[in-house]
Amino acid sequence: MAPSAIEEALNVRREAWRDLPPPTLYPVKEAKFEKYLPPQLDGRERALEQPPGEASIVIDNGSHSVRAGWSFESKPRLAIPPIMSKYRDRKANKTFSFAGHDCYADTASRGHIRNAFEAGTGIISNWDVMEHVLDHVLIKLGMNGVEGAIDMPIVMTETVANLPYTRKTMNETLFECYGAPSVVYGIDSLFSYRHNQGSTGLVVSSSYSATHLIPVYESKPLLSQAIRLSWGGWHAAEYLLKLIRLKYYTGFPGKLNSSQAEHMVRDFCYVSLDYDRELKGYLDWTGLEDRERIVQYPYTEEVVVQKTEEELARIAERKKESGRRLQEQAAKMRLERLMKKEEELEYYKDLQRRLVDQNKKETKRLLDEAELKDEAALERVIRDLEKAIKKARQKDLGGEQEEEEAPDFSLLEVPDDQLDEAGLKQKRQQRLLKSNYEARQRAKLEKEAEKARLEEEARRDEERRINDLEGWLEEKRQARLAKLAQIKERERLKADLGNRKSLASQIRMKNIANLASDNPTTASGGRKRRRGGDDDDFGADDADWGVYRSVAIGANKGDSDDDEEGEEDLEAAVRALEEDLLRYDKTFSYDQTLDAQRDWSKSLLHAFRYGPRPFDPASAAETHRLHLNVERIRVPEVLFQPTAIAGVDQAGIIEIAGDILTQRLPGLGLATDDFLRDIFLTGGNTLFQNFDERLRIGLTPLLPAGAPLKIRRAQDAVLDAWKGAAGWASTDEAKRSRVTREEWLEKGADYIKEHDLGNAFAS
Amino acid sequence: MSNPEAQAAQAAHIALLEQLDIHHTHKSFRNPAWRPNARRNKNLKAILGDASRKEASVNATPQDNSGAATPAAQDNDGLSTSGTSTPAVPSASGTAYLQPNLAQASRSLSKLVLEKNLSAASSSTKPFSNGTSTAPTATYTNIESAPSLAPLKHYCDVTGLPAPYLDPKTRLRYHNREVFAMIRNLPQGVAEQFLEARGAHTVLK
Repeated sequence: MAPSAIEEALNVRREAWRDLPPPTLYPVKEAKFEKYLPPQLDGRERALEQPPGEASIVIDNGSHSVRAGWSFESKPRLAIPPIMSKYRDRKANKTFSFAGHDCYADTASRGHIRNAFEAGTGIISNWDVMEHVLDHVLIKLGMNGVEGAIDMPIVMTETVANLPYTRKTMNETLFECYGAPSVVYGIDSLFSYRHNQGSTGLVVSSSYSATHLIPVYESKPLLSQAIRLSWGGWHAAEYLLKLIRLKYYTGFPGKLNSSQAEHMVRDFCYVSLDYDRELKGYLDWTGLEDRERIVQYPYTEEVVVQKTEEELARIAERKKESGRRLQEQAAKMRLERLMKKEEELEYYKDLQRRLVDQNKKETKRLLDEAELKDEAALERVIRDLEKAIKKARQKDLGGEQEEEEAPDFSLLEVPDDQLDEAGLKQKRQQRLLKSNYEARQRAKLEKEAEKARLEEEARRDEERRINDLEGWLEEKRQARLAKLAQIKERERLKADLGNRKSLASQIRMKNIANLASDNPTTASGGRKRRRGGDDDDFGADDADWGVYRSVAIGANKGDSDDDEEGEEDLEAAVRALEEDLLRYDKTFSYDQTLDAQRDWSKSLLHAFRYGPRPFDPASAAETHRLHLNVERIRVPEVLFQPTAIAGVDQAGIIEIAGDILTQRLPGLGLATDDFLRDIFLTGGNTLFQNFDERLRIGLTPLLPAGAPLKIRRAQDAVLDAWKGAAGWASTDEAKRSRVTREEWLEKGADYIKEHDLGNAFAS
Repeated sequence: MSNPEAQAAQAAHIALLEQLDIHHTHKSFRNPAWRPNARRNKNLKAILGDASRKEASVNATPQDNSGAATPAAQDNDGLSTSGTSTPAVPSASGTAYLQPNLAQASRSLSKLVLEKNLSAASSSTKPFSNGTSTAPTATYTNIESAPSLAPLKHYCDVTGLPAPYLDPKTRLRYHNREVFAMIRNLPQGVAEQFLEARGAHTVLK
């Protein structure tokens, strides 16, 4: 295949996203303040017109919303979240307190929001907030005119198997604080069931704080068979929030909160009919754009100030200028260092010459003077210096100045005694210049030699390729594999350093211990220095510092002066080899290259985080986007598999329903079929698309063939609880079940009368 | 705050806040003498703890151990394989043992005094009803769902996809080797957060 063809095939695959329509973006939604709601006095007036004892205040006291209104109306007058916020405004120098949506009116207020319910449960834990919310509700219902006490009976909902303490405190509040004439409690989902004309069936209520399943037989709830699964809308929102934070764990720039997550759950999540099958293909590239939902967070596009041509030129000039200055300085420093090394080399070489025909004692004296142990050490020093000088010169090759004239060295030939003060000074300068110049000349020569050598190498390589393509290719392949192995080895080493027991870590610990000990043995230098005093001359040899490199974790981050090649070098080498192979090796295709393996269009994690389009980390718009895909079915699935997905150690909703229908009810001698004919879904968390269908698919295999399974949803899964309570409030049963203030005083703090829509009395 | 527009907006905002505020509103419907118990705010754990302590003290006093409250009545409910009749929440410590007594307590003499207006009418025709009958009364702790008996499926902790593998180092489940490479390069502590989402993190006490 010709190289151009390869590229074309490649582009087709990588450019497929260009055919996609532009992404659909959804704005972020969260709870916010809408408008001021005036107290509605007309409701109370109408209530007073009713025959005595008929009208009551109905409060669906939910953990997501408190809905309140009049029993003779068809809709609640208001629905507010059970929150309050109380704070002191510094500017106005005034204490404000709000309840419900009003809390979102001000930023300072938003920071002080407190919830009446214990997070994720239907149990009220903050009574000050509860009282405040009830204050708000009663004001808005137009009750702020009566003196000292509420003159209307109250119908209120509570959670299934509410705790006696909670009921006791609520009674206390309603009777003592508000002076209610009578109170009756009921269960929200049963009210909803009643409102939807249910009489025998299984009520499946998934609300904000929990999911309850209650079998009802001839309008009587079998509360002893009720089961609660501690998962509701609140948990789902928190779980989604957690997932989003983990998905973009490197840091998402937008501000995430649970109210936003709640809206996302409501808007984008749905129940999968066949979870495992749908899940498997969820991140496939085909159709991913339809499966994902993108939420765009607000962002500010970075404003790029347009500069004129002239300005740009000036800036470039300035940059170049300062760059040049720096380069010059660096070159000068390098040169000075090189010269010093050359001088040293000269000294040692001279020493070597002098040693040639000396006796042993004299040799020893001379060596000691130079702080050397023996002649071998001297040779080594010379060899090292030569190597270092050579390397330094080669480094210098890069930024070499242009050809220059040999400066004037005339004074160097003149003996010192013939010169005056100024002359001497000039001579010294000339000497410096001369050695400088000579060093440069030598460097240039070496550079040319190096260049020639490289050229020769390239030529020979080319020759080899033409003559023996197979062998040449094989060599390149091997070289590439070797480099890849090297990269891998380096990564392994890095990973190993994280493991305390690995060899790499142990060597590192040894080094650290050695450095910290009082008399370190220089492991790397090899030179033993046993001369007295505290001063171990650590650092006299540059190689000594290498020990720190092996001590620092991620040992490859060394500065550019390091002789080992950096990671980029390895990758660049691999890339060069791959280029050669792509050009000449028919069996080597783009898919095998390092680049291809790292290409975003192959990455599952890219699909997961950024969808089917490329991601530009520099674009503020794109970094502020949330891509929801697997989460759309993963979050609602928790209701069906709580343990496997969210680690909630409880059975899923289908298992619970199956247990109630096939084990518990027959155990009581009841016919399962009666219940099967009416499986009733209510509560905001059942509103997911496919919820009913999935329940049917899940329950069918647990039931005998031909079982008359029928599942229905509440007309209004959210409001029917209130409506049911309002409809029930003026029935005889409700009136019988009212607990009056006198009864409360007489019979106990958490006393209730049992009725068909409420909890059983248990102490 | 110098330009008049911003000032006006600020003033309007303050006016709105004052309109919304119910701190200064006089609430005539409240009993002015109402002084709530300063320690009425309790969390769920405290409430359940108090309840079980109270239960224990009730248990200590001698009781009439006859009739419906014998463990045999418990077994009736124990037919269910879910085991939901036993409390699933360990926080209500000791309730497992106390359970029969809890049911019994609700039927003890002192409680029978209380009227059960509707159940009284219906219990003659039905063998069961709310608080009466063989099963113990539903309480907040004993209606909690029991652990699942179904085999557990495994899902990738990162992507949520099916996960056939488990990394022994981080204990994360993962979908394929790309995800594995990612979890091995996670910064310190992040792996634990992934585990926490599945409730499998280590809790230090």
